[in-house]
Amino acid sequence: MMNPVLLIAIPLLLAFLSIILKHYKSQLLLLGSAVNMILIFGLQKGEYIIGGFKPPFGINLVLDDYAFISILVVNGLFLVINLMSFDKIDKLGTVLLVSLAGLNGMLLTGDLFNLFVFLEITSITAYILSSVSKKYQYSFNYLVLGTLGSGLYLFGLIILYSVFGSLNMADISKQMATANLNQMLIPTFLIFVGLAVEAKILPFNGWVKGVYGNANSLVGPLFASAYAGTMLFVFGRVFVQVLMVSSYLKVTLIIIGAVTLLAGEAAALSKTRIREILLYSSIGQSGLVVALFLSGLVFPAVLQIFNNIFSKAVMFTIGGKMADDTGTDEADELQGAFLKNKLAGLSFTVAAFSLIGLPLFYGFYSKINLLLGIFSLNNFWLPVVILLGTIIEGVYFIRLLVKLWTPGEEGHISTEEYATKFTIKIELAKVIGVVFLSAILIIAGILPGMVRNNLTESGQLLNEESPSYMFDLEGGI
Amino acid sequence: MIQYAGIILMLIGIYGLLTDKNVIKIIVSLNVFELGLNVFIISVGFVKDGVAPILTSVNNHSGLIFVDPLPQALVLTAIVIGLGTTALGLAFARRIYMKYGTLDLEEIGGNN
Repeated sequence: MMNPVLLIAIPLLLAFLSIILKHYKSQLLLLGSAVNMILIFGLQKGEYIIGGFKPPFGINLVLDDYAFISILVVNGLFLVINLMSFDKIDKLGTVLLVSLAGLNGMLLTGDLFNLFVFLEITSITAYILSSVSKKYQYSFNYLVLGTLGSGLYLFGLIILYSVFGSLNMADISKQMATANLNQMLIPTFLIFVGLAVEAKILPFNGWVKGVYGNANSLVGPLFASAYAGTMLFVFGRVFVQVLMVSSYLKVTLIIIGAVTLLAGEAAALSKTRIREILLYSSIGQSGLVVALFLSGLVFPAVLQIFNNIFSKAVMFTIGGKMADDTGTDEADELQGAFLKNKLAGLSFTVAAFSLIGLPLFYGFYSKINLLLGIFSLNNFWLPVVILLGTIIEGVYFIRLLVKLWTPGEEGHISTEEYATKFTIKIELAKVIGVVFLSAILIIAGILPGMVRNNLTESGQLLNEESPSYMFDLEGGI
Repeated sequence: MIQYAGIILMLIGIYGLLTDKNVIKIIVSLNVFELGLNVFIISVGFVKDGVAPILTSVNNHSGLIFVDPLPQALVLTAIVIGLGTTALGLAFARRIYMKYGTLDLEEIGGNN
């Protein structure tokens, strides 16, 4: 039986070693993430006490189904992305190992203050990774907003501590059930703001444009999949399982999520750079997931997180690679880029279709589940917002795909001579990686029962009252 | 009362973050904010007439009033994390100055 603390300790140990063994940083990183993947399959679910103090006095790690499925996906994506962009790791090995420890810690911890510590560790590595683009003013902006956000999270946390006298998630959740929720408005809102900075919710996401918009083929997919996924999983954990949100605040926060969704999609529509389109789409998706979590729909929210992070890992890898090679990611200048890289183009297309939610792809399964879930709550305005967002999403993704597949002016037959003058050479490792990830999206779309069997437990465990729908249409047919 | 001092310090820090355009001044504001937060956290554990929560040969009976030691431990962690972020922020400030020759974010804004 493995102790899940190894998932945090091994990357940290290797991070220290990688400072001594300077020349093997990237190998150590791959070793660390591969060992983690193997360890995950030897884990047993349960509660693990750290340091011999029983909770609520000591810190514990909680490995329930929700934590298990999230560490599995985050570690898997982390490994695949590092394999794909192995050439970019170079000196970043140490930072990436620390970030892996932080991400696992955030997903596993059962203590709110411990979550703050891991949140800060992860954020600091994220600031360093964001500075790879050499646009230091954006990294600085991210640092200021991130630090302020986690400061506000800590503020909310301390107010909760002074009320309940505990930092343990399970203990607070138990005490919160009998508390007067109107007195909890301030700490709840402060914690929401703190997590919203990293989760990219609307008024707090000023940093995203500079950081995601300049990320390369290693950092971009990491931010958009491993980091974004972790933040949303943590958001779900805190707001569904730990904190009880009073109904007025809940409506307000759901509206913030819905506004983020619409604003993100609308901003993506007006952009022409590939990575900008993707980053605004990521913002929109975060808003959607937050609205779902706050509505109590854990299972559809988890499905949608998977849809988002798998698709974005593929798309940011290809978009980042194009920008690395050509120095630009303007869709107009890269017309017809996929004609020369058909497999990569196909994976990008699959990822985009899945994100829109077309049948035959995994996205359809997650979208139909979340819509049915919301209808079952007798909420009729949120589906309208989501469907509107989906239409906008369809418009800009299909416009982008048309540009990248068929060069030339409208009304003319597109031939290769209109295609971009840049040569984009996507390496074999990246092609295999993106094909692998997009194959998962197709297989999960054709056989959704497979995903469901692994996921229903995670949805139910987090919130037993949440309706988790088991709506399978094989391949959407 | 000391809670209010913490909150006022935090508000001063946020005011600085919102109004200053100089990178170094922003880092200072961030530190003021964190300082206020730390004062607030310490104040949560304060008990009037409380003593340090250590059992000694003088203070060895359970009838004593102790201050809550946990917030102090939390503040220690928060200070260390704050130090790390400040150091990283200063490193970015140095890089910004090396690249653009200025520390004013508004002047940098134009040339990406």
